[in-house]
Amino acid sequence: MGMIRDNPVLSRELLVNLRSHRAFILQFVYAGLLATAVLLAWPQAGDGRIGASVSAARQLFDLFFYGQFILVALVAPTFAAGSITGEKERKTYELLLASPLKPSWILVGKLFSSLTYLILLLFSSLPMMILGYLLGGILLSEVARAYLVLILAAGTFGLVSVACSSFFSRTSSALVVSYLIILPIAIMGIYLASTDNFQLRNFVTLTLLPPWTLATWTIVVWLINLRLLRPPDVGSEGKDVMDEQEEQKYAIGVVIDRDLFPDKLFAPAKRTDLMPDGTNPVLDKELRSEIFSQGTLMLRVVIQVSMFLSIPLMAGFLFWRTMPGWYICYVLTFNLLVGPVFSAGSITQERERQTLNLLLTTLLTPGRIVRAKLMAALRVSTVLTLLLTEQVILAYVLVRDLQLQFLTIIPFFIIILASCLVTSSLGLMWSSLVRKTSVSIIATYLSLLLLFVAPFGVYQWALTIFPETPDNILRWIMTPSPYASALSVPIVGDRLTSTGSDISPIERPLAFAKVQIWVISLGISLLISLICHLVTLVAFRYKWWKARESV
Amino acid sequence: MIEVEHFTKRYGDFMAVDDLNLSIGEGEIYGFIGPNGAGKSTTIRFLATLLKPTSGEGRIAGHSVTNDPMAVRRVIGFMPDDFGVYDGMKVWEFLDFFAVAYEIPRLERRRIIGEVLQLLDLTHKRDDYVNGLSKGMKQRLCLAKTLVHNPPVLILDEPSAGLDPRARLEMKYLLNELRRMGKTILVSSHILSELADFCTSIGVIERGKLLASGSIQDIQKQLRSHRVLKVRILNENPSQFEYILKNHSSVKAPSVNTIERTLSAEFEGDGPAQADLLRQMMDAGAIVEAFDEEQISLEDVFMMITKGIVN
Repeated sequence: MGMIRDNPVLSRELLVNLRSHRAFILQFVYAGLLATAVLLAWPQAGDGRIGASVSAARQLFDLFFYGQFILVALVAPTFAAGSITGEKERKTYELLLASPLKPSWILVGKLFSSLTYLILLLFSSLPMMILGYLLGGILLSEVARAYLVLILAAGTFGLVSVACSSFFSRTSSALVVSYLIILPIAIMGIYLASTDNFQLRNFVTLTLLPPWTLATWTIVVWLINLRLLRPPDVGSEGKDVMDEQEEQKYAIGVVIDRDLFPDKLFAPAKRTDLMPDGTNPVLDKELRSEIFSQGTLMLRVVIQVSMFLSIPLMAGFLFWRTMPGWYICYVLTFNLLVGPVFSAGSITQERERQTLNLLLTTLLTPGRIVRAKLMAALRVSTVLTLLLTEQVILAYVLVRDLQLQFLTIIPFFIIILASCLVTSSLGLMWSSLVRKTSVSIIATYLSLLLLFVAPFGVYQWALTIFPETPDNILRWIMTPSPYASALSVPIVGDRLTSTGSDISPIERPLAFAKVQIWVISLGISLLISLICHLVTLVAFRYKWWKARESV
Repeated sequence: MIEVEHFTKRYGDFMAVDDLNLSIGEGEIYGFIGPNGAGKSTTIRFLATLLKPTSGEGRIAGHSVTNDPMAVRRVIGFMPDDFGVYDGMKVWEFLDFFAVAYEIPRLERRRIIGEVLQLLDLTHKRDDYVNGLSKGMKQRLCLAKTLVHNPPVLILDEPSAGLDPRARLEMKYLLNELRRMGKTILVSSHILSELADFCTSIGVIERGKLLASGSIQDIQKQLRSHRVLKVRILNENPSQFEYILKNHSSVKAPSVNTIERTLSAEFEGDGPAQADLLRQMMDAGAIVEAFDEEQISLEDVFMMITKGIVN
């Protein structure tokens, strides 16, 4: 208990995090949204249908459980992935390590402070969940089990994020690797939880999940402890100089070689001589020096995890079933995660590292600087994303159904490229609008979630609010989402789902406009990118003068 | 070379700089001194084209700081008080980056980088990573970056801050070297004794107001009427000569320190009056070991100005 009660790290973080108006407002808004959901789903007076309230209760329970599970998966890394990297970025990490605090105390302080607010949010939904219980049809043990799963998930995702935070030196790297590890686990969790087999659900959540989770926690805690006990030599000024060649010697799995294809596409070799005349020095610096300035670990993990995940997805969506749209959705998700890492810190890091003033007093114009930052981010994120499309090309070569409609590969590639442009542009825009990289990255992710996923939610909501409106009109709501765009490309001949129709049932809701939807979606993506670029340019010009307003 | 007219910068209710006027001639080394938060860095950032003024105007080599910042950037080399370096870059890459940013052709870049590395004694660090350099080396590197486009005006904000005594001394030699090269330098520093060695003029700023500006000699002249004479004698009882000071027309507020056997007083007279005082004391039997004017250092000037003794 002393580790929690007398933990200075925990006390300080809780004090800073919970005393802000923002924390209160966020909780208020969250509870308000939940209350609205309950109000909308509550059976109307006079609704005498047998089981109306039971079905409403089940609907509410599912909404709360899945909604909060997704919330935990998305929010836990934003709270925890910056817990230790934040100390490194603020240059207080060494002070913490040099204090008499044991690593376990630091870990507990960081983990609890990161997750306390999230747990508070979760428990603020309990009264609403109990209201659902009062409607009938849900057992109290189900409610308790749901919260057990949510807390175990919060702990696991939080610990994974703190572990990433202890291994990387930048919050952006820790965040993206955390998401890459957490999102597949979360999707698997939702899949298991959605089974109708009550006994299987009980077995998984009560018998299987707790011991496995605790075992995972033990391993992760041991790893973090080890890292905190024996941190790498941080060198002078708290910064380590990365020797790429030395690092590559000890690399496990993928090794990045700047001289080889395709690695040299996103990381051109370091210069051995002066830049040629007419080179944009910012673009050159970003690609040749900055990309691996913190080492190659993050990129190696990202490439390996994404490739590993792509294997079953490729088998399922490209070879077993003919559903390339779904595989493209995975590629888009990867781009959603990775794109912002290279753009959302582009300008904020110049400020944080105190190099912005050096840059702004040169003859480089804001337009040139911003363009170079966008081109660098776009190049790296596009090449990394395209690495996952080798499987698509392979499927179009080997699978007969896809061979017969090979032209459909073109819209898929256009959709991916447009998505790369959007993710990089949005990241850069946020980087020019806010002061901290961590804020910029989270704002970018939220904007992208809004763009990628929210249209589907709005469509579902519109279906219930405007039941009279024809479905094919309401479906246009989904157009801005690149996912909708990918799923709208008409594919014929899924051998498992073909029932006389030319498209699979899953893709059918979006197939109403066939070719048109992805074209319009592409237009929207380009428009968003253009707006982002203009906002970035204006914001950067404004900050050009207001670079350091504080005295 | 540098002209500032009625520069005012306000942050909300806080007045950072209030109606500052400044003129620095070509080849001058102007020391900008003042306590923390006085408005030095605000003025320097304004001149470096990084800050929009609330009102007022600045001109460097005839170019308007507010209307033609690009032209100003061509003629200035700016070294901020707090700066970082890019990760994953070697020393020569760092200099090449800024040389390209200043549009220097490749053919000239090779020579210039070699020269600035030699001038700043960084040649042996050419292939080292910049984020692995020590604080002193980074300061030198930043000064090297400031010189790559050979600007006639250098604006240096606290170039010696945080350096150890040796690095500080080396920085002083470097600035002296730059002075010999004919650069006009505006330099701010807390280490006033360093500025005194090579500055041709100084400006004292406090709470956003320029309290004094001009050559060190001119400012010291203003303080002349308050100079202090110190007489050290070998006689057992120095008090017996106090009456001579009291009766002399040029002396005010005499005092005696019997332990150190010194007499001191504010002296308002000229050279002959000073010689007359010495003669009177010797005639009275004083064995004078030292008869000297107390030196007024730049620190004293600064303290006296900021205390309101002189304006």
